[in-house]
Amino acid sequence: MILNIARKEFKELIREGRFRVMSMAIAALLVIATVITFNYYQWVNAQHTAAKENARNVWVSQDQKNPHSAAHYGTYAFKPKYPMSLIDQGVDKYTGLSIYLEAHKRNEAQYMAAQDQTAASRFGDLTPDFILLYIIPLFIILIGFNAFTRERESGTLRLLKSQGVSSFKLALGKWLGIFLPVFMVTLLVALLSLVLLLGIRDFGELNLGAFALLFFFFLIYYAVYTNLTLWISSISKKSGVALVVLLAIWMVSCLGMPKVANRLAEAVHPYPTQNEFLASIHEDERSGLDGHDPFSMQAKKLEEETLKKYGVDSVQQLPFNWDGLLMQKGEEHSAEIFFKHYESLKQTNNAQTGVYRAASVLSPYLPARFLSMALCRTDYHAHWHFSDAAEKYRLQMMDALNMHFAEKASYGDWAWKADKSLWKEIPDFNYEPVTYASIIQANGNNIAALVLWLLVSAGLVFRGVKRMNVL
Amino acid sequence: MHKHNFKFEWMQLQRDRWVVILMVIFLTLCFFAASNGKKKVNIRQSEIATSQSIVEEYDSNSKKIIDSLNAGLNPDVSPWTNPQRLSVVGNKGARVAAMPAARLAFVATGQSDLFTHAVKPTLTGDSYMLSFTEMSNPVQLLFGSFDLAFLCIYLLPLLVLGFSYNVLSSEKELGSLRLMLAQPVSMYNWLLNKLALRFMIMTAIVWVSILAAMLVNGVQLINEMGGIVQLLLLVAVYIMFWFVVALIVNAFGKSSGMNAVVIISVWVGLVLLLPAILSQTGSSIYPIPSRINMINEMRAAQAETTAKADTILQNFYRDHPELAQTTADENSYSYYLKFFTSQDVIKEEVSPVLDEYSSKLKAQQGFVSSLRFLSPSLMVQNAFNDLAGTSSQHYESYREQVVRYTEEWRNYFLPRMFRDEKMKASDFDSLPGFVYSYEEVKSQYGSDLLGLLLYTGLGLVCSVWVYRRYAKEVLFS
Repeated sequence: MILNIARKEFKELIREGRFRVMSMAIAALLVIATVITFNYYQWVNAQHTAAKENARNVWVSQDQKNPHSAAHYGTYAFKPKYPMSLIDQGVDKYTGLSIYLEAHKRNEAQYMAAQDQTAASRFGDLTPDFILLYIIPLFIILIGFNAFTRERESGTLRLLKSQGVSSFKLALGKWLGIFLPVFMVTLLVALLSLVLLLGIRDFGELNLGAFALLFFFFLIYYAVYTNLTLWISSISKKSGVALVVLLAIWMVSCLGMPKVANRLAEAVHPYPTQNEFLASIHEDERSGLDGHDPFSMQAKKLEEETLKKYGVDSVQQLPFNWDGLLMQKGEEHSAEIFFKHYESLKQTNNAQTGVYRAASVLSPYLPARFLSMALCRTDYHAHWHFSDAAEKYRLQMMDALNMHFAEKASYGDWAWKADKSLWKEIPDFNYEPVTYASIIQANGNNIAALVLWLLVSAGLVFRGVKRMNVL
Repeated sequence: MHKHNFKFEWMQLQRDRWVVILMVIFLTLCFFAASNGKKKVNIRQSEIATSQSIVEEYDSNSKKIIDSLNAGLNPDVSPWTNPQRLSVVGNKGARVAAMPAARLAFVATGQSDLFTHAVKPTLTGDSYMLSFTEMSNPVQLLFGSFDLAFLCIYLLPLLVLGFSYNVLSSEKELGSLRLMLAQPVSMYNWLLNKLALRFMIMTAIVWVSILAAMLVNGVQLINEMGGIVQLLLLVAVYIMFWFVVALIVNAFGKSSGMNAVVIISVWVGLVLLLPAILSQTGSSIYPIPSRINMINEMRAAQAETTAKADTILQNFYRDHPELAQTTADENSYSYYLKFFTSQDVIKEEVSPVLDEYSSKLKAQQGFVSSLRFLSPSLMVQNAFNDLAGTSSQHYESYREQVVRYTEEWRNYFLPRMFRDEKMKASDFDSLPGFVYSYEEVKSQYGSDLLGLLLYTGLGLVCSVWVYRRYAKEVLFS
């Protein structure tokens, strides 16, 4: 019986022009989006590899110079793109693509793609995530809004009910009739992107488990929409009303709630502006230790302690270059200040994330979106992870440079130059992305929210179908 | 006849519960959107004010220090904070180059959430490396803000379509169409009339909602009359465009249910998909020049010239000018004068790379921006950002104006440093300041409005054709 209903629904859909046109349009868009994004991905990756090599080359081939000059000259860390970013670009275009690593400063990532694009791109880009998260739910609504209302309007609901079909079977049959075509479209994208990704040389980074999990979550997301569609259709008197209500639900979920949550998050846990953030760091630096300011209180104290420790009465007599150590201590101190401020920024971010989680109650889009970005390693946490790793590398680099200066140069000899071999001794920046285990762990809430939506909406369908009035 | 039509329509709409509900929702959303926009603008303005007040405080402190130095007192001041030194004031006393919000900034967030609006270019800093990026949670940027532009671009069409998707089909379904056909009126004119009336009613309601939302949020309507009139006109034309879309769909003479599905598909196509397709196509045909390559080229140029610059100045002191000592018989700024020379050497090599990049980027953006004429919602968005002063062009111009100002700032100090002058207390009032000029950005509002009107006109012509081709058969059968 269930299969009969599903088959009937499916046949009816296929015979209808609107389904054919829509599904073909969606399939075409998805294919185009995937291919375009794939090209973009390859383009970016090629550049990334070249840039990484280039940055290293530039660093290694520096002339003899003072290590601290080299520290100021610095180097760049480039954020890699991972294969699954093909599916969801996430916040990538809003986070900047490289971090300049230099002395005394923890820099923010530079050159966010969104700044180079015109405002038109704020409408969204034609990428797979756009179709998967926004358009397919609409597709579900458009093919399913009249699943029950049509039967009611044409009087066949009475016939169906008189057959003695249980509401459970009826609901499941209708559900499969809507879900199967969506499942097929989703499968098509999954296979296409898998083929494309497997075709790349370095596909070793692609984790098939994570890939499958991602599409599994998408399917749960679609199941939620299928449920909502059937529910509204079962409780509406007219097809038109069902369509309007479902469209409203879609708008609230996909467009409204994310923006409202934005406003709430900013109102309750505001992010500092760039100027405020820098000013608070500057304030701490002014009252703290400054590697270039030998008059500073803390440097004085450090000097006294060091002199005492080595049993000498002037820095000239120390067995190493005092300036080098002082600069290193300054670097460590400012690193502490940066750490403190970035930690508090992280806390603000966590609090904002909490607001988005809460808003998930009114929007299945939100947990789906966060999950997909996280699995594709294009979410904000992935960016934090990269930024922290770059900072860690920067500090190692500064430590090596300052201590080399402390050990080799004599005090006061600022003109001293380190040998070229020093640049090679500092290892290259190798970034290991955040692991899937920690991604899943961090997104437990989102998974729970999505599953909750699935259960509640399924309950609503059964309730709606059970109480359905044949008139 | 017109009078009857109008009266009848008005009564019908009044009795339609849905219409009333939708209007109340729209009004509420208008309030929310305007307050959102206003809130963002307030944050922006207060940040600028804070930055300004820091500078003012610096000025008054410095003046006091200079006065007491002149009076022979011995204030606690180190050489690298002494405000008599031009090099100190040029860096620590840098002015705020601010981009205050335009009067209508609250109607469209546009690109304003990506950029900072108060930068302080310094004497020894590299103007080309100045960062204009605002700090924000990228999730905020991804989801975008709920502003009036969003409300009008996305929701207004749905409101219009809900108002008009079944104008003709419902008459047919109710059977009143036959009665109408018996009247000595052209069906097409009757349909046009009906929609025109609904357009006027709808526009009036939307205008009132927007104005009310502005009033509640403390906008001085009289002062900002010009911009507001432009805004209302834009909204009206956009509403008209969507009524014409509804007219075309109605003219096919299909059932109400079919119309609803078609109309929603049209909305999805025009508002959601077309802009995304266009911006994607634009950047596929004409890719954004690569930032990564730019960094590579810039680094290469830096590497080459750093050696040259080092011959002018020992490299360590180029990074730490505050540590450089000068001998007593020299110009006390001689170090800085050499610094500028060495900085110029690097700049000469690096800025062509950056200039080339930005001119390429401008060309690319120009191309993508011209694609907006293919999409009504992109034109409306562009016009909104134009009115709000938050478009990409406004920020590009901001960057250019700041770079120019940085030169001006440096040119104030350089000759004085050559003459080995000291900063006087009275000099603080004559330091060059920055004023952002919105006039430097060419307005695109006119062309967007014209484009939108053109589509509306074409749609109207199209509806006549569709009506003759399809509706007649269906209606008279």
